[in-house]
Amino acid sequence: MTGVRETLAVARYEFRMQIRKQSLWITVGLLACLLAAGRFGMGPRYAPAPSGAPAREVMTRWAFLFSVILPIAFGMALADRLLRDRRLRTAELLASLPPGPAGRLAGTWLGSVTATGTPALLAMLVAAGYEAVRRGDPATLGWGLAAFAAVLAPALVFVAGYALVCPLVLTAPLFRVLFVGYWFWGNLALPVTLPTLTGSLLTPVGSYAASWLLGTPVLQAGIPGPLPFLRPAPTTSAAAASIALLVVAGLLPLLAAGLLRTRRHPA
Amino acid sequence: MDIAITGLRRSFGRVAALRGVDLTVPGGMFGLLGGNGAGKTTLMRIMAGVLAPGAGQVSIGGHDMTSRAGRRAVQRRLGYLPQDLGLYPDLSPRELLDYVALLKGLDDPAARRRQIGELLDTVGLTDVAGRRIKGFSGGMRRRLGIAQALLGDPTLLVVDEPTAGLDPEERIRFRTLLAGLAGHRTVLLSTHIVEDIAQTCHDTAVLTAGQVIYTGPVTELTRAAEGATWEVRTTGAPPADGVVVSAVNSGDGFRYRVVSPTRPAPEAAPVPPTLEDGYVALMRRHASTRAAEPATRTAARARWGRR
Repeated sequence: MTGVRETLAVARYEFRMQIRKQSLWITVGLLACLLAAGRFGMGPRYAPAPSGAPAREVMTRWAFLFSVILPIAFGMALADRLLRDRRLRTAELLASLPPGPAGRLAGTWLGSVTATGTPALLAMLVAAGYEAVRRGDPATLGWGLAAFAAVLAPALVFVAGYALVCPLVLTAPLFRVLFVGYWFWGNLALPVTLPTLTGSLLTPVGSYAASWLLGTPVLQAGIPGPLPFLRPAPTTSAAAASIALLVVAGLLPLLAAGLLRTRRHPA
Repeated sequence: MDIAITGLRRSFGRVAALRGVDLTVPGGMFGLLGGNGAGKTTLMRIMAGVLAPGAGQVSIGGHDMTSRAGRRAVQRRLGYLPQDLGLYPDLSPRELLDYVALLKGLDDPAARRRQIGELLDTVGLTDVAGRRIKGFSGGMRRRLGIAQALLGDPTLLVVDEPTAGLDPEERIRFRTLLAGLAGHRTVLLSTHIVEDIAQTCHDTAVLTAGQVIYTGPVTELTRAAEGATWEVRTTGAPPADGVVVSAVNSGDGFRYRVVSPTRPAPEAAPVPPTLEDGYVALMRRHASTRAAEPATRTAARARWGRR
C-alpha cells in the first residue's frame, strides 16, 4: 500500500466520522442563517449587493459575510479531532497498523478539513442558488464556488492546522476559548486600538482575497498597522500571496506535529 | 511465525518495565502469564510494533523489531487486540472493519467485503453489522476487536488480556474462538487469568517484575506445586503457613486450598495441583529467592568489609 493510499483510506473514514457530527451542522447552519438574516444591520459592506450587480460581487459579499464568523465554527469542530484517538483509546490499535504517524496525520487533516468545510460550502451554494433564482443569473453558482475557494477555503486550512494541533498542548476547551479571543483580536480589532494582524496578508478572514474579487479594498485589507511588510496594497498578487501564506501557515503546525509524532513514536 | 527475544529491556522514565527478557516462542498458542505490572502489556506492545525496544534483540519471523522497517514488515502480518481496546462509537462494525482492512492494505473491495462478512459471522455480529458501536456491550466490543485483528489473515495474533471484564459465558466462548485460531498461526495470549492459559495453551511463560521466570509447557508449570498443594478442612483460622489459593465455606467449617512446601497444618491432606497452584508455587519460590538475595549480598559485603 502506498503512502497516498494509506492517507486516502484514513481521510475517507475521518471524513465520514466528522460529517456525521451533528454539532458541526447545527453550528454552521445556525451561524449561516443568523448572518444571512442579520446582514442588513451589519453595515453597507455586508448588505446585499444592489440589483444589477455582477455575480462576482454578489457572491463575494456572501463569502466575506460568512468568513467573518464561520471559521470560528471550523475551529470549534476541529479542536478534538487529534485528541479524539487518545480519548477513545483507538490510538493503540491505529499504531499497530502499517500506516505510519505521518500518513495518519495527513489523512486525518484531509478528511476532517473537507468534512468541516462541507456545510459551509453548502451554505454558499444555497446562497448562490437563492441569488440565481432572485436575479435570474446562474453565474452566481460558479462565482459562489470561486468565492468559497478564495475566501473561505484558505481560512479553513489556516484554522484547521492550529485547531488540530494546539489542543494537543492546550486541551480542546482551553483552545476553543483562546481561539474565539484570537479571532476577534486578529481579524476584526483595528490596529489603531491595539496591535493586531487585522488587515494583513495573514488575516484568515480573507480581506485580500475578497478585495481582489470585489476590485475594491474591504475588511481593512492593507490598513496601516504593525508589520507593515505584511500590509501591501490589495492587488491580485497580494491576494495570491495572502492565500498562499494562509495555506502554508496553516500547514506548519501539522508539519511540526508530524515530525514530533514520528520522533516520539518511532514505531 | 517464530519469535526470539534476547536481553530485551524497556523503561518509561526511571521505571523499568522490562529488565532483560529472554524468550522463544515456537508457534501455535502461547500464553504469557503474570500479575499486574509484570510487564506483559509492554512486551505485547513491542511485539505489535507499537513500542520500540529499549535494548536487546527481538526477532519475529526473521524481522528485526529494533528497526522501523522490521516493525512495519511484522505489522503487515499482524493481528493485534490491545488490552485497552478503543473503537469509534459512530461507526458500525462493518465500517470499522472496512476502515481497518483498508489500513491493512486490503485494497480489493470485493475481497474486503467478503472477508468482513465472514469475520462478522465468525464472531457472531452479523445481525448488528449495521448498528453504531456506541450501544455495544463489552463482550460485543471484544468480539469486534478479535474480528479486526483477524483481518488480512495474519500469521501472528497478539491478544492482550482479551477476556478481562467479560462474563463467564462470553469468556469461555472467546477462549474457544482463540484456541481455534491457533491452528496455522502464532497466537500470543497475555493474561493474568490462569484459567485462560490452562484451557488454551500448550506452552507458557511467566513474567514478573519485567523478567521471565518460567518458560515451558503448562503441564510442567503445574508440576511446580506437586507435593506442595494441600487441602485443609477446619473450623478455625486459615493455616498461617503457605498461600491460601481458595477458601470455601462448607457450612460446618472452611475448606482451604493451600500451596506450601511443608504441611501447613496437621489435618492437611495433599491434593493434585492445578495450573493456578503451580503458578502460585512458582511466584512464591521466586519471591523467597529474591528476598534472600539482598541478605546474601549484605552478608558478602560484611565479609569483605571485615577483611
